[in-house]
Amino acid sequence: MLRGFNDSVDKTVREAEALAHRAAIVGAGHTRFGVLDAGPRALVRSAVESAFASVDKGAERQDVSEAFLATLGFGGSQIGNSAALLAEEAGVVGAPVTRVENACASGGFALRSAVGALSARASPLVLVVGVEKMTDVSNARRRYWLGVSGDTEWERLAGLTFAGVYGLIASRYFAEHGNASEALAEVAAKNHENGALNPNAHFQKRISRAEVLSAPRVADPLGLYDCCPVSDGAAALLLSPPDLAHRFTDSPVYLDGMGAGTDFLAVQERGKITSFRATQRAAHEAFRSAGWHRSDVSFLEVHDCFTIAELLALEDLGFAGPGEAPAMTLSGATRRDGRLPVNPDGGLKAKGHPIGATGVSQVYEIFLQLRGEAGSRQVAHAGHALAHNVGGAGATAAVSLFSVG
Amino acid sequence: MRSVVRLAAYVPAGSLGGLRIGAFDEDTFTLGATAVERAWGERDSPSESVEVHLFGEYPKMAEWGFPALLGREAKVLRHPGDAGELARTLQELEESSGGPAILVAAELPERTSGRPGHSSSPVGAAAVAFLLEHSSAARPFPLEKGGTNRSAADVAFHRAKRREARLKPSAYVGDWDAAPADGRPVNADLARHAADWDISAVSEGAYVPRARYLENLPSRWRFVAEECDNCHEVTFPARGTCQRCRRRDGLAPLLLPKDGGRVVAVTTIGKGGQPTEFDPQVESSGPYQVALVELANGIRTTLQVTDATAGEVRVGDVVNTLLRRLYPMEGEWRYGRKAVPTLMGKAERDEPSVDGRPNSETS
Repeated sequence: MLRGFNDSVDKTVREAEALAHRAAIVGAGHTRFGVLDAGPRALVRSAVESAFASVDKGAERQDVSEAFLATLGFGGSQIGNSAALLAEEAGVVGAPVTRVENACASGGFALRSAVGALSARASPLVLVVGVEKMTDVSNARRRYWLGVSGDTEWERLAGLTFAGVYGLIASRYFAEHGNASEALAEVAAKNHENGALNPNAHFQKRISRAEVLSAPRVADPLGLYDCCPVSDGAAALLLSPPDLAHRFTDSPVYLDGMGAGTDFLAVQERGKITSFRATQRAAHEAFRSAGWHRSDVSFLEVHDCFTIAELLALEDLGFAGPGEAPAMTLSGATRRDGRLPVNPDGGLKAKGHPIGATGVSQVYEIFLQLRGEAGSRQVAHAGHALAHNVGGAGATAAVSLFSVG
Repeated sequence: MRSVVRLAAYVPAGSLGGLRIGAFDEDTFTLGATAVERAWGERDSPSESVEVHLFGEYPKMAEWGFPALLGREAKVLRHPGDAGELARTLQELEESSGGPAILVAAELPERTSGRPGHSSSPVGAAAVAFLLEHSSAARPFPLEKGGTNRSAADVAFHRAKRREARLKPSAYVGDWDAAPADGRPVNADLARHAADWDISAVSEGAYVPRARYLENLPSRWRFVAEECDNCHEVTFPARGTCQRCRRRDGLAPLLLPKDGGRVVAVTTIGKGGQPTEFDPQVESSGPYQVALVELANGIRTTLQVTDATAGEVRVGDVVNTLLRRLYPMEGEWRYGRKAVPTLMGKAERDEPSVDGRPNSETS
């Protein structure tokens, strides 16, 4: 009787542990982000090669039972069936590959699909690749593509791109919480400071708050330096089930919780535009599924496509109250040596934002940081991390939580 | 017998201050539409059909454009644009019986003659709309009959203005005599460039197919929302499903107010911040504003701002809306509402502006 009871307790504990670790990251790769000569195929190949090279005990292409490709297909060079492109370049032709497209949140949602595939099909190794080639098209075509993921009828054709939609959001944020220009400039300056230490970053130079504030306005109150750049790049992850992780490495990074959400495409249909319900929902689900508290988290990788987005992220993820993110940012708390470092890799703002690659790249940084391999930009006491990936102006969002176990 | 029960005259803000031309996003359809909306008002009887008599030149789309604007069956009849024809038609309608009829005379002088005092018409860009309805007593409207060299819009406009005081209730809403003291600058070059805007330019993939554009006209032109009789949620734009309780039955159309909206958020799009479809507009007219406007409690829509200098509109301002040209697509102009500032609707200006800088620097 007692033995049976203990067995059942053990089983419950084991189940809880298994639940706590839903997947293990055993390898991660990254290309340089920026204006590159390489095309999408070379970028995919190079990110996948570097992911395999990072697996401590080695992994073979044959171990990959399934793969997911995150990309918008920017420029339209391989707009359909690009999953097969990934299979070719990754050397996994034959394995099922699925393209995931949720605009800038493609990477976060591809990771979510990969975790689902791991548990549903008992795969030994699942590959996730995010890629975008953005600088090989004319300026006019680039601006055309930058707006394709917003609401077309009511926003784009009223004359808004994402800069414009985030400009509206910033204007409303200022109206509700006071002028936050200085905090926006601090987000840009802080992320450039981090990017300066990241050899993969698009921008590896520091900028001052004054430079941000005096830059030309693109979508008032947002200026040129409030916007992330248009970049090429790719990132890749190798995932295994937690119980197989030690076949590949002695120091896996575990994925402990994830959540995702959606909202109306057009901000006009949302009750409030100074917070993203999709992010709030995703964070709620992620923390509940992992059984974590906000205070467990040691650093964040958040979606700062525009500086205002980093302030919204701090509030929507539950690390600052409404209207408190500017003060928190100006206090230095989110700097690399602060209480809660945010975007130690430079964020989208400085590292660059190759659309499909971004959500995967965030997890690459977490893989390095949690294993203590981030070099000069290493965050102290990094044990638990959060990745936050947003599509469009908050229409889709994915949040994932990682630990070293 | 029918009598003129209402009339409305409309002169665009850009036509004041010396140069009598329309804004870059206007044509005779938008001019006429604004006058018609004001003469017609709001009505609950979509089954009641109406005759629309057009005097002068209008785009081809006016055939379906005026019925769509009125949200009902309408027979559109075209007439030459001279004053004699207008007077004859008016008399015929007054002497016959039938349902409501609207007479529209809109005129947009050639944009190429933009010099002060050289516009091709004494009136310039203007539109007048008469609404006639059944009446037991004959009350003929005093318009000169017979031939005249003056345009229908010119004669009707001045006559309408003189008669305004005696028509009850007055529906004269033109701003002919109410020019803003600072007379907004009118740039003839801008209008000329806009006229050259290549309407064959298309936006490749991110576009609204014509079928979807037409399907959505009630929401876009008339601000038709849907109110759910189950949970009383108002869904805008209308999509045939209550966005709160998801029910598809018991949805009643609800007209949102077209004027008096409050600016919730606003951004000024500088050069390079616009979608490529708006490149010609930015090249000819410079930066523009886009505002999120609250039309009624909690119901918002995103509108481009027109008849204003970039940076003029701020959070908290009250704006009205007008039908204007939006953008060229699939070889035609697409029309929709834009926001215009109101003279008295400026939010308290003692506060620093949204961006913390003086208004004049915003662009």
